[in-house]
Amino acid sequence: MTVQHKPNTEELVSIAEMVWSSYLDPDGVRPLVVDPAPGWGLGPTDVVATVAISGAWDGRVLLSFSPPAARRASAALLAIAEVDDVGEGDVADAVGELANIIGGSVKSLMPQPTVLSLPAVHTGAFPDLGGEVCRVTGTWDGEPVSVAVHEVAVYVGVSRTGETSQ
Amino acid sequence: MRALVIDDSRAMRLILARIARQLGFDVVEAGNGQEALDRLEELDTVPELALIDWNMPVMNGLEFVSAVRRDTKYKAMTLMMVTTESEQSQIVRALAAGAHEYVIKPFTPDAIVEKLALLGLVKNGVQV
Repeated sequence: MTVQHKPNTEELVSIAEMVWSSYLDPDGVRPLVVDPAPGWGLGPTDVVATVAISGAWDGRVLLSFSPPAARRASAALLAIAEVDDVGEGDVADAVGELANIIGGSVKSLMPQPTVLSLPAVHTGAFPDLGGEVCRVTGTWDGEPVSVAVHEVAVYVGVSRTGETSQ
Repeated sequence: MRALVIDDSRAMRLILARIARQLGFDVVEAGNGQEALDRLEELDTVPELALIDWNMPVMNGLEFVSAVRRDTKYKAMTLMMVTTESEQSQIVRALAAGAHEYVIKPFTPDAIVEKLALLGLVKNGVQV
């Protein structure tokens, strides 16, 4: 019997912190603050970017931001001076790319071969995927963020417009 | 010197273009491999450097590298993959297809500069 490695919370924290320090907090002044037991839950207006990993292991990586955190992350990545100037397209691009980078790092921990999908970005209530493997919760700039890895046997596709298909 | 930055993410193109410009490159951008091939046809001179994502719609980075390597007029262009694909087998595939270097996301600007220095395109923080 082959025992497959699955990413654990410690590994996911390390990946998230590396992404934050590379792109969202290069100067070390606005770090991701990990909080394993946050006093909040992500809400129905949150921005969720997902990438699917398929092949020797099938799963999905979800990166969730509160709306203000999504706009601030997009402003940081796209060098937009005023957060109010960030549009929906900016959020879809920037948050999607962050999910892509985190997903690629998670993929590297999994048995091979696997393929990483292009990112999809969704705003609003997200279907419960089940099969959660690990999750990092915390705050960035005082706003809730979360990164989760799910083992998903059935492919769930979510388009940028929010339509869901299985 | 000119650099072609190819990534479907505008955010990533902006980050890479900023690094390249700070090194003194003129930058041309494309959102996928096919768009990059179209840009190359439009340019009067071949860029010295291409920074290439792997996973893109329409034409991915590996297909772009293969297409460029089949065309002798682009033989002087240095091809550097900048991608989330981090498995050894994928790196080998990219290098076998004709990529010169490979940088894994997430990266720091210093990582890009170091790789370009190894390729002889950058010295003391500026393009040569």
